[in-house]
Amino acid sequence: MTIRSAVVLAAGEGARLRPLTKYRPKPMLPAATKPIIEYVFDALVEAGITEISVVVGYGRTHVQSHFGSTYRDASLEYVGQDKQLGSGHALLAAESEVSEPRLVLNGDQLVASRLVEDVRTAHDDGDAIATLGLIRDENVAEYGGVICGDDGHISEIVEHPRDDRTYQLNAGVYAFEPALFEYLRGPEPQLREYSLIDGIANAIDAGAAVRGVTSDGIWIDATYPWDLLEVTATLLEHADGVGSSVSADARVHESATIVEPVAISADCVVGPDSVVGPNVALGENATVGANAVVEDSVVDADTRVGSGATLIDCVTGRNVRVGPGSTVVGGPGDVRVGDRVHETERLGALLADRVRDGGGVTYAPGTVVGSDAVINAGTTVRGTIETGTEVQ
Amino acid sequence: MCGIVGYVGAIGGNDAIDVVLDGLSALEYRGYDSAGVAIPTPEMTVAKAAGELSALEETVSRDELAGEAVGIGHTRWSTHGAPSDDNAHPHCDEAGRVAVVHNGIIENYQRLRDDLVDAGVAFRSETDTEVIPHLIGRYLDRGADPEEAFRLAVDHLEGSYAIAAVVEGSETVYAARQDSPLVVGLGDHGTYLASDVPAFVEHTDRVRYLEDGDIARLSADSVAVTDVEGRPVDRATETVAWDAEDAEKSGYDHYMLKEIHEQPSSLRQCLRGRIDELEGTVDLPELDTIDHDGPIQFVACGTSYHAALFGAERLRTGGMDAHAFLASEYASDRVPVDEDTLVVGVTQSGETADTLRALREADRAGATTLAVTNTVASSAARECDHTLYIRAGPEIGVAATKTFASQQLALALLAFELGDGPTRGELEALRDIPGQVQTILETTDARAVAETFVDADAYFFIGRGYHHPVALEGALKMKEITYRHAEGFAAGELKHGPLALVTEQTPVFAVVTGAGETARKTIGNVKEVEARDAPVVAITDGTSDVARYADHVLELPAVDDLGASVLANVQLQLVAYWVANLLGRSIDKPRNLAKSVTVE
Repeated sequence: MTIRSAVVLAAGEGARLRPLTKYRPKPMLPAATKPIIEYVFDALVEAGITEISVVVGYGRTHVQSHFGSTYRDASLEYVGQDKQLGSGHALLAAESEVSEPRLVLNGDQLVASRLVEDVRTAHDDGDAIATLGLIRDENVAEYGGVICGDDGHISEIVEHPRDDRTYQLNAGVYAFEPALFEYLRGPEPQLREYSLIDGIANAIDAGAAVRGVTSDGIWIDATYPWDLLEVTATLLEHADGVGSSVSADARVHESATIVEPVAISADCVVGPDSVVGPNVALGENATVGANAVVEDSVVDADTRVGSGATLIDCVTGRNVRVGPGSTVVGGPGDVRVGDRVHETERLGALLADRVRDGGGVTYAPGTVVGSDAVINAGTTVRGTIETGTEVQ
Repeated sequence: MCGIVGYVGAIGGNDAIDVVLDGLSALEYRGYDSAGVAIPTPEMTVAKAAGELSALEETVSRDELAGEAVGIGHTRWSTHGAPSDDNAHPHCDEAGRVAVVHNGIIENYQRLRDDLVDAGVAFRSETDTEVIPHLIGRYLDRGADPEEAFRLAVDHLEGSYAIAAVVEGSETVYAARQDSPLVVGLGDHGTYLASDVPAFVEHTDRVRYLEDGDIARLSADSVAVTDVEGRPVDRATETVAWDAEDAEKSGYDHYMLKEIHEQPSSLRQCLRGRIDELEGTVDLPELDTIDHDGPIQFVACGTSYHAALFGAERLRTGGMDAHAFLASEYASDRVPVDEDTLVVGVTQSGETADTLRALREADRAGATTLAVTNTVASSAARECDHTLYIRAGPEIGVAATKTFASQQLALALLAFELGDGPTRGELEALRDIPGQVQTILETTDARAVAETFVDADAYFFIGRGYHHPVALEGALKMKEITYRHAEGFAAGELKHGPLALVTEQTPVFAVVTGAGETARKTIGNVKEVEARDAPVVAITDGTSDVARYADHVLELPAVDDLGASVLANVQLQLVAYWVANLLGRSIDKPRNLAKSVTVE
């Protein structure tokens, strides 16, 4: 029986992407100009999936209002997960919707339809209770790994493996039989969370058949805010990505210079003598003022880059006001996330939703500005600036 | 406001009972208090019930009627007679051969009824509609064929109507339209009839709109449209773009909340391609042929009237002579109107009977007419000289939300188009509005305010200038969905009477933005309220010191007057929504109300 339906897990915040996730969940952050979860939906639709249940929680209205009740040829149904108690709990929230085998995907990682198709075909052809999409990736310790035999039989599944056995990376693309729900529930969840990985491990321990299929389609995860720059550059360059494009509903002044690849969304305005690109994504209704320069940056919806400003290696949230003549000089820089300092990352500055600067502001490499912060004209800022503060 | 559905199935088509009941269900959002169906073959079956559609489903057996190809159905909202099984449509003649459903009002029904009663006809209901099947029955008795009998009966009627009729044993639906919308759908599996496209859009998107005076005969594979004398008239087949899926709730508890959250994207649609920041222009090519410097009159009802008040004020700010009138009072107020007048009808549905009537009066007086509407090919759009679409997308909740915001922006664009055009600052501010509405949705404290005041005795809303229509609309939203007493006032009017109602139990919502003369005066009125110990909720951008006198603040970003009016309204929509939600009200279908009011 060919699987036609899927569950997409999109209820988590994605705390490592703070402060960008202050108001919306990671699946709605922009990869180039589209929300991350839209690539997941695309992969599903292209693989022939026609019914998608989306498990939503943190910032759920963003997902619901952006996509409504259909996406391309697929119907979208939303299932609320009120408390974020792990991926297994999220899937259980959709249990009443599930009566036959289906795909389960993370909504916050970009996958190619190839990977989705491979998992579905392998599951259709086999008798496994669960089939996992795998890729060979050196960063397996950052994610989850499996030990998978040549026959596709998975004998072990491990979160953040640290030993030197040969793991393949669990890409978060699964096909499940309804019977897997029993394993998601028990025995006892660790740390009061129900993890999908624990559920699969329970199934393996009980002797149920769990298989893996290795694919070489695109799989990208943005873990930290600066990863959005790399993700965007990759998507703009790759044939499988989004390609370079300027919306017919954007206005680009004839004297502006567009250095491809770029993605410029509907309602954007690019002013005279500005330079935009390469590797720049402008979200819906963004504005680049006269003589401004924007390079290797992700500028989200409704943001205004003032006249004569310069943004290099910059990530902005929505509705940000970069004043005239302000400068983000570009990375690399040391970035503090929580208690950890990431050294020499390629980040000029991160300006979260609704940051306002008065113009003539200089951002030292690696600066992170929390949402709703106000930076007065002529200031030089560095390090981390908390949400809602005013910098004199 | 009532809904009509009809179907004549082709061979291999659906069961009529299924198409009709599903069609009625698709029209449910319009609001109703009773519903009914008639299937005329093999013998006439009529079922009807007061209350929800589920009550009708219980009285009718889909199984027993399986295989029958013809039917009509109706959801009713009372104008004559209380909601009851008897007063529900369809209505029949005495012999039970004819069944009729009807929207609108038969103005001469009392005289027709008296004549029929004199002739010995016994009436079963209090409705105006029942005269129609009796008239048809009388002509059938005299030997007329069904089509002739229908035509002769319609010829007696005065008033507004959309009618569908079936005759026992006949696989035909007859229809007539006068001042009340009817549309025919042409599908592969039969021919459809409805007062509104969503009733059959899942079956076909090829439609013919009937015009006033049209009589239609629907058969399984075609529709014949004639005038009242029986001469054929040609009505073009159009394709409607109406995504039925849009009409689902997308994970929200209510359509209203979904539609409140859709405002950023509706407003982007409203502005798209119409403003150009590089050139500094607003361009509405559909209005290029309006060359007008005379007086401008807005006509509208309900929420649209509040948008019209706002629009008129925008135009006056642009130096034009503009005023807003209640459409239902327009004729009786004897408003002077002539060839030099531009009359702008603001109607979400484009079918609002009062507004259409006022536009027709204006048209007769030689005025230029402009429809500002959300509904493509609606009566208003088809009848007016010009149309400006607000592009808000389908709105299902009976209480208008996103369409009000889109009306505000569309009317602001109209003011720029007819006036001097925007400054760069005004254009920037316009482009910022969708994102700022999103900000409010993400940061609002409306739910907490609603929780604080859910048990209040009454709610008052005050505003001045651009914020006066916002205060009126805030109160209307509160009334519509909470069933609580709410009033909106021009802030300065409070002390001229309404202040007597203000107590510790009546929160006053004050819209105050900026720090200019208008804000200072409104703050003076806020102090009057505060002195009576009434709780004050300030809706403010924080520029003035109004927060010092307020118990609660609903914050707005710092914006110009236009943006502030749009944004303040969003906060008040959310307060009304949460109060109604806490009270457990029927938010999407409030009692006694209908989405589109097609009677005067």
